[in-house]
Amino acid sequence: MPKKTYAAAFVDGINLAMRRDKELHLIGTGFGGRFEGVLTKNHAARIFDPPTSEGAMAALGTGAALTGMPTMVHFGTSAFMLEAWNQICHEAAVSHYMTAGDIDVPVTFHGFHGVRVGGAPQHSTSPQAMAANMPGLEVVLPSTPYDAKGLIMSALKSRNPTVFLNHTKLMGIEGEVPARAYEIPFGKADIKRRGRDVTIVATSWMVQVSLQAAEQLAARGVSAEVVDPRTAVPLDVKGILRSVRKTGRLVCVDETPEMCSIASEVAASVAQHGFAALKAPIERVCRAPSPTPFSPPLEQFTVPSAKTIAAAALKTLPGRGRGAGRRA
Amino acid sequence: MAPRQSAKLRLQLLERMLLIRRFEELNIEIWPRHSYMGRQHLYIGHEAIAASVGLATRRSDVVNTTHRNHGYVLARGVDPGKALAEVLGREGGTNRGRGGPWHISDKAHGLLTTSAQLGGGLALGVGAAFGLKGRRSKAASVVHFGDGTMPEGLVYESFNMASVLSLPVLFVCENNAIPERGGLLAVKRWDDVPRALSIHCEPPVDGNDAGAVYALVERSLRRIRRTGRPVFIQPNVKAWPGSHKAVPEYTTGVTDLAMAWEPRRNAGPHAAWNRTDPILRMARTILAAKQATREDLTAMDARIGRRLQRALAYAEASPFPKPRSAFQGVFA
Repeated sequence: MPKKTYAAAFVDGINLAMRRDKELHLIGTGFGGRFEGVLTKNHAARIFDPPTSEGAMAALGTGAALTGMPTMVHFGTSAFMLEAWNQICHEAAVSHYMTAGDIDVPVTFHGFHGVRVGGAPQHSTSPQAMAANMPGLEVVLPSTPYDAKGLIMSALKSRNPTVFLNHTKLMGIEGEVPARAYEIPFGKADIKRRGRDVTIVATSWMVQVSLQAAEQLAARGVSAEVVDPRTAVPLDVKGILRSVRKTGRLVCVDETPEMCSIASEVAASVAQHGFAALKAPIERVCRAPSPTPFSPPLEQFTVPSAKTIAAAALKTLPGRGRGAGRRA
Repeated sequence: MAPRQSAKLRLQLLERMLLIRRFEELNIEIWPRHSYMGRQHLYIGHEAIAASVGLATRRSDVVNTTHRNHGYVLARGVDPGKALAEVLGREGGTNRGRGGPWHISDKAHGLLTTSAQLGGGLALGVGAAFGLKGRRSKAASVVHFGDGTMPEGLVYESFNMASVLSLPVLFVCENNAIPERGGLLAVKRWDDVPRALSIHCEPPVDGNDAGAVYALVERSLRRIRRTGRPVFIQPNVKAWPGSHKAVPEYTTGVTDLAMAWEPRRNAGPHAAWNRTDPILRMARTILAAKQATREDLTAMDARIGRRLQRALAYAEASPFPKPRSAFQGVFA
């Protein structure tokens, strides 16, 4: 299978979706770096580079979607989505329900989220938990090039408003991506690494960090399973429970602050529906409850790392790695 | 043309502009060894505006800046060492490393916060004016923003608010004609909208002419204090060719003050930019009016250079904040 970067796979998915659906329009560019040329080459008439007017951009995409024309709106850093929060949360999210299903809202809102190094308090936002808290929005959080392509193709076909968040740090990673068009259904968790001792549930960039943690744990004789829900809404609680029933231990990792985070939702769902399967208290590893500071040592301290994730996993295991670590 | 201005004023303007320029050049110089500084939004080419506001405002006035904030910070008199330490994310910085290069602020100098959201600082500046008025202060609120901010809806909401509430705000639209993302705005002039909202608008001024900018800012602030109503001004500047580089570089070279008196030194692809450079221009004005000698200006430059070397030594010696302190200061 050909290898592609995450950015190339993401653009590839948009290109194929625009080829599939001749009405799909793109509002905003600048999400795929040098790979974007293919879009302007093939679909220039359906791409509009707007002035910096986030509220009007979101409403432009939403209003067009109300007439049946699917749109994707790109905001750059997802921090700027908050300037369009009313249009996303109180117009796009509610219109289908408010019209008793008379109207569909096929709009995709895209932005880069996360601590990207040096973003400081205003350019490091991860709004996925806030979006997930607004009924009516689908929330998509890919973690690999393969998922980015399949999930954006699903998002651009979806009849619902979708908040699609890519982590800046993911854009350069490489992975196997088929050249063909394919869709990944929403609400289907993917096991990114199989294991038997502890389940780590993570999304977006944190999946990659959790895979590093799983490596560290393996060196200490602990077999960690990394489960990626891929979409926060809908959330594949059943898929997560399947893994927890096998391991009996759960670590929830999230780059959003712990309060009302995706990690907290996963933890609550497992506690409610899978309590009997748990052999240890659930651990959460989240962003610190502070604005994101600029200074590098502070910034690093506020986000989960492979080390803090591995430490949380070991905490769920009495005997800390079954002695294997001591031998290593 | 600006009225004849005193040697003292012109030299003060030149000194502040040169301090800003050399500070930004220092940022470029040290970037390779502190690349975590990340993207730097430098103020090169806009110096006349911040310097004018810095000199024309009172200490009690408040200033809200753009993401190119280094210039205003220095123009308001913040210690360059503390400013540079903030750019480097150090404990000794103005914001103890929390804010970094885009968010330098210092309440003691009337710089409340620095928003790096387009339109964010403008709206907060209107709120600051509301606060000043409500607390019966005679101070004014100055907000700087670029033409790229004009398509933001918040701008119009804030213009309207400043007008209907009669707030003491000086809107400074720094038009460098490099609007973000296409800059589509269907007006013929940037002041069409504030004018329609009953805000007094001054004709555009050459933003590279520090004397003219100063005169306009000073006159506008007097008007604001007299009427209690907002004023909109628009200094037009030429965009510095390096403005949009992700990694800062000496796009137009290190500023050579001698170009002010030896025009033949100015050659190459950026000769046109150098000719309109607000700093060289003010130096020429001063020399032509015999208000200082070349040696005086060279000595001023050297003095600034020494001051910035001390600032750099302070900033680089300042430690990084302790990681655990990340949790401090979330709430008052």
